[in-house]
Amino acid sequence: MSGSGARPTSAVPQLGIGLPYFASLPAELYQSRVMDFVEITPETICRQRPTETAIELDIVPQQMERARSTCAGLPMVVHGVELSIGSAHDWNTAYLEMLDAFQEAWPFVWHSEHLGFQTFRGTDGSTQEVGVPLPLPPTMEAADLVARRSAMILQRYGVPFLLENPAYYLPDAPSDPEIGDDIGLMRRILERSGSLQLLDLHNVYCNAINHHFDPFEAVDRMPLDAVAEIHIAGGSWDGGFWMDAHDGRVPEPVWDMLEYTLPRCPSVGGIVFEMLDEHVQKLGVDAIQQELTRARKIWMNRAQGDSYGVTRLSDFTRRVSTCL
Amino acid sequence: MALLDFQTSLAGLVRASNGSDPSRRVSLTDDERRYLSDLAGNAAFRFTVKVQRSWCAGRAAKAAYLTLSILPGEVRDQLLEEWVNSGGGTHSFVGRESSAFLEFIASHLVEPSHELTICRMELAALRSSEGSLRFKRPESSRIHRPDGLLRRGPYASVVHFYAEPERVLNALVRREPCPAISSDITTLIFGPGFDRLYTRATSSELALYDRLVSPAAALELSGEGFARETMQRLLDGGALEYWNKRSQAKYPLAT
Repeated sequence: MSGSGARPTSAVPQLGIGLPYFASLPAELYQSRVMDFVEITPETICRQRPTETAIELDIVPQQMERARSTCAGLPMVVHGVELSIGSAHDWNTAYLEMLDAFQEAWPFVWHSEHLGFQTFRGTDGSTQEVGVPLPLPPTMEAADLVARRSAMILQRYGVPFLLENPAYYLPDAPSDPEIGDDIGLMRRILERSGSLQLLDLHNVYCNAINHHFDPFEAVDRMPLDAVAEIHIAGGSWDGGFWMDAHDGRVPEPVWDMLEYTLPRCPSVGGIVFEMLDEHVQKLGVDAIQQELTRARKIWMNRAQGDSYGVTRLSDFTRRVSTCL
Repeated sequence: MALLDFQTSLAGLVRASNGSDPSRRVSLTDDERRYLSDLAGNAAFRFTVKVQRSWCAGRAAKAAYLTLSILPGEVRDQLLEEWVNSGGGTHSFVGRESSAFLEFIASHLVEPSHELTICRMELAALRSSEGSLRFKRPESSRIHRPDGLLRRGPYASVVHFYAEPERVLNALVRREPCPAISSDITTLIFGPGFDRLYTRATSSELALYDRLVSPAAALELSGEGFARETMQRLLDGGALEYWNKRSQAKYPLAT
């Protein structure tokens, strides 16, 4: 484990603009010049298989072949959802074993996971699933657990490993003073493990609305020199909360956040526009292309830095209110 | 071990919504106890529970799509609600969720009924499909060995149709009323090695499958009048497998 805070930033290639792989989208979209790389969630082309002692994950060869053929030689990064890296009782070793086989069959440039937990130890000692990912408390114990596991992952796969900041609705859990909050938690994990951050700007936007803080100030406090990838996405209102629903176009305030953040991230390798599979058809190919084109424009202009002149909280609040 | 207890308490609260008593967990700090105790009255916690329920219901609906589509709307909604309230819908992989939810639905359906048949068929297809990725056709020569024991395949099942299967399935697809329940039963055997994962069972195949409720030697089965060809066909389809006494069941044997 690296305790020095040194990060393998030089190992992050500049890929550009990416899109998640969806079997439901036309292959022509992936083969057009509208994107530079593809992000794949390997679990979507896997099946679970019960064995004597555990549940294993098998890659479905036909589905992998289809994904590879659709993505036609584009650089590929992995975005996992099933590792549960922050579960205190154990993490999902079946995911790691599947990822071993996945990397051998289809090498990835980097890979990422969500900073949180979705499994816990039930009263009978068995592993239970929460049904929804939950945030980690900002404590030394949580930071050290994830840092230790992240360092193991870095060694195991030999490519950059990124942790994504989550969206959460729960009130802030009790914290250790050395950590402070979720940003402090991420910072300590990255410093102690050598892993990098996948900065999900829509998650920051969600949290800013639901927990009433300035997202730009939050971005300023983040370890931006360790950001290797940025996610943008859409969401929607439900019951008075802004949901990280991935169900539509990127809200204007998130575009503002991207313009503000991107020039401040010297090591970023790419931007991905995220959606959920069930909303892809409703959104449509034209809208997806437009979002990617807009992201590319910002990507191409990223060296201009502060010249965007994005205003801060007052403007953010105004733009959020126009989206209501 | 505070993190372990904190996560168990928080996850338990989200799953149960009415919650376990977090104060029973000895390693929690006073702040953590207070935090967990205060959650019940918190709008953000209630919203988290709502999101969890919604995700669980969505997973369950996807996991038993065929069976739910044959059930009347109010029965479907009631089963989904009962399943989610009992802690179902949390499995992120559709296969595992399907297996558990379809078993749950089956326990609420009448025997015989087309609804129960479709439920069992969906479950049987799922199990065979799970086994198909790693299925290897067994060596045919093993059947002649004197110590060759056979048992039901771990990913195999039988499904009884109380009308011609095509008529039941066509009615389902066209959303038309199903044919009347008939005493003329058609049985499909599902296994990971069959084309399309199933075959229409002959009476001898069904008798052999029924006979193997516990493992038996091929020689013994031959003595009882079962043809080697029948054994071989079911072995090739994964409905049966060779059994090594030293190995344990890989998966609950289908009934």
